[in-house]
Amino acid sequence: MLDGTGPDGPRLFDHLKVVELAGDPSGEVVGKVLAQLGADVVKVEPPGGAPSRAVGPFAHGQVDEDHSLNFWFYNTNKRSVVVDHSTPDGRAALRRLLAGADVCITTLRPAEAAAAGLTVEQLRAASERLIVVSVTPFGLTGPWADRVSSDLVALALGSPLNSCGYDDHSIPPIRPGGDQGYQSAASFAQMGLMLALVEREQTGQGQVVDVGMHDCLAVGAELANPYWFYPKVIVHRQTCRHAQPTPTQPAIFRCGDDRWVYFVIFVAEQKGWQSLVEWLDSHDLAVDLVQPEYDDPTYRQQHFGHVQEVVETFFLLQTADQAYREGQARGLAIGPINSPDDLLADEHLQARGFFAEVEHADVPPALYPGVPFRFSAFDAVGLQRAPNLGEHTAEVLGAEADER
Amino acid sequence: MMNSAMRATASVTQEQTTDRAPRPRRGPLAGIRVADFCWMGVGSVATRLLADFGAEVIKIEDRIRIDTPRRLPIYKGEPARNFGEELVDADPNRGGLFNNYSRNKLGVTVNLRTERGRALVERLIVASSVVSENFAPGVMERWGLTYDRLRELSPDVIYARMSGYGHSGPHAHYRSYGPVVQAVSGLSYTSGLPGREPSGWGLSYMDNQAAYYNSTALLMAIYHRMRTGEGTEIDVSAIEAGINLVGPVLLDVTVNGHTTRRPDFPPGNRLEWPHAAPHGVYPTLGDDRWIAIAVFDQAQWASLVEVMGAPDWADDPRFADQEARYAHQDALDGHLAEWTAEHDRFELTELLQNRGVPAGAVQDAEDLNERDPQVAARGVFFEMDHPVIGPARFEGNPMLFSSVAQDDWRSAPLLGEDNAYVFQQVLGLADDEYDELAAEGVI
Repeated sequence: MLDGTGPDGPRLFDHLKVVELAGDPSGEVVGKVLAQLGADVVKVEPPGGAPSRAVGPFAHGQVDEDHSLNFWFYNTNKRSVVVDHSTPDGRAALRRLLAGADVCITTLRPAEAAAAGLTVEQLRAASERLIVVSVTPFGLTGPWADRVSSDLVALALGSPLNSCGYDDHSIPPIRPGGDQGYQSAASFAQMGLMLALVEREQTGQGQVVDVGMHDCLAVGAELANPYWFYPKVIVHRQTCRHAQPTPTQPAIFRCGDDRWVYFVIFVAEQKGWQSLVEWLDSHDLAVDLVQPEYDDPTYRQQHFGHVQEVVETFFLLQTADQAYREGQARGLAIGPINSPDDLLADEHLQARGFFAEVEHADVPPALYPGVPFRFSAFDAVGLQRAPNLGEHTAEVLGAEADER
Repeated sequence: MMNSAMRATASVTQEQTTDRAPRPRRGPLAGIRVADFCWMGVGSVATRLLADFGAEVIKIEDRIRIDTPRRLPIYKGEPARNFGEELVDADPNRGGLFNNYSRNKLGVTVNLRTERGRALVERLIVASSVVSENFAPGVMERWGLTYDRLRELSPDVIYARMSGYGHSGPHAHYRSYGPVVQAVSGLSYTSGLPGREPSGWGLSYMDNQAAYYNSTALLMAIYHRMRTGEGTEIDVSAIEAGINLVGPVLLDVTVNGHTTRRPDFPPGNRLEWPHAAPHGVYPTLGDDRWIAIAVFDQAQWASLVEVMGAPDWADDPRFADQEARYAHQDALDGHLAEWTAEHDRFELTELLQNRGVPAGAVQDAEDLNERDPQVAARGVFFEMDHPVIGPARFEGNPMLFSSVAQDDWRSAPLLGEDNAYVFQQVLGLADDEYDELAAEGVI
């Protein structure tokens, strides 16, 4: 396991100062990753707090700006400074913060930014070196720039939603869980920022990186665009498996413990087929699939309905964990459909020390997922809880006042 | 022994025009050479970003085990085939998915089962400063290509290792691909209607996202080396990236002790936090056509009611405010769906967006490519010619920079297209040695 350089080693971003003007995960994730790798990320919030503080669920039912688990998840390792941008003092404070910053992350839509006097051009004017990363629903230009969106609406317009749902098309397409529209935008913003940092190392100049969530999702449906670019066909959604031009066989199986596994029976592939039959046979559940006629892929394809029934019965007699271990031991790509609860007990993740305990201000510590990058040359910072609203206002604005 | 792949390459080499010859690259990564062992979707997308922004990415391929995106039957001018329906003896240079994934890269072939093949890639690594791979753990080690060995060959090397489970831990050797990663990391379970099987994902979302995380990690390592002169080994696990994408519901489990194994989870298209209502996907005119509508506050609701022509049902006290609407979503969704079903999804999108209501048609790839004015205005897709496929579209990088541009110089390499350039011009192999390697099937 890559252990990096330990708790006292250098950090990738320990020289970077970041000002974050973000109210949703598309910008907050970018700041979170920078902070976890050592950047000083100052989240500048209005007096009422960033909008993300109002989104639940809430820790132990305490519905206030300091107990949003949504905010906690996306804002670890940051500092919070309250700045009232409607006042001259507030505007001056933000200007000073930006003047000393390397990176500014903003999620203001063009109209909001113009109204607030915080357009990318205005932000960028703070210094030559400043990189401004703008992440918005539709980007800063184009006929839809000022339209309104949400995670669901973005996934619909951007097209990934068209590929997700059930075989039964009387049921609408179903939004995948989490904030995957915002997360897709955040990933491209992160890559754009890294390219801008690499460019700045060579030129000394910052720049504007303009990321639209809609554009990110328009390239985020994997095979759907290539199927349109080349054979000019549309893929159609299917239950928990790839959308395809025409229907394919189910790929999830219920197990005896009422959990599910994902597993595709590749009838055309000889080695995989043999492994599957040997596995079923080791439980005396292969039935007639051991017969020589099933050595022929065409025969298997013609009798797929029967194959499917035998495999369905087999899984009903296993637990999901047993099926996972035994199938993987035979070289089959099979996975249990884990709930978030299940992840905490996973022996592999435990061995890699993935989840880390985080202390909170006024509730007991709890596990958070760790940083998804590991390097031998440097480490992540230990996970620190998200800041309370304005927790670092005096510290940051005071220190910065002292420097003047 | 001459397989179809070799025949195809031989014939194309004769037709090859000079405008496909490698040229100096532009962009922030110009001057960085990558010995790229990546394959499949996730690996190919991860190094594509480097190739798009100026790095010389040399994709190392195997003529015997052809990269899957070259084989998936996504062909121009041919009827629809599901991606499992591969053609026997398919031309590896016709695959559309490969073209999309490997544009702007160079392509060489090496048989790593041979000693001379392994010696050749070591020479390539000496000439490179980044090595990337996404094989099952143990494959690179079998060829002796450990981080220690790579550092002997290229002292400040960056060694990017991408896998489903990461390179340590008891399941490191487990097999996975996008849908398995989505299942294991929790992303499938959290997607679906309550009380039934998960609907999960209709795509390998984690092939994309893990690729993005790997691109980011590569750029982080390059940035670090520019600042310090120091290389690094990188270990990114797709499953660990996936768990980070599960989101705040994880903390509802770990902080609050709430279980997600409960009858009302997952919430389908409804949004629990904040209590948005209506929040769903509703039928429109046309076969299997839908619109997403998400109302977060009273002003948006008032606008929606006005666009609907202020129907009587909207005055029902059950729909008076966000909390009331949230509590009565079954009735609310029933009324709304009756209205949307009588309208065109694009007309409704315009009507609602013009009044500030978050709404959008569920678009498919045809809609995106042929009518979406925003995607067109932002230049999300672009075209390049390909000697076998012809002119073809590509998915661009959706970031617009004020002073960096994507450097598109060539569509994807034909199998072994750049063998002569890389092995002779870059590595300096003499003609007779090159011919001998070709004759022996090493390249």
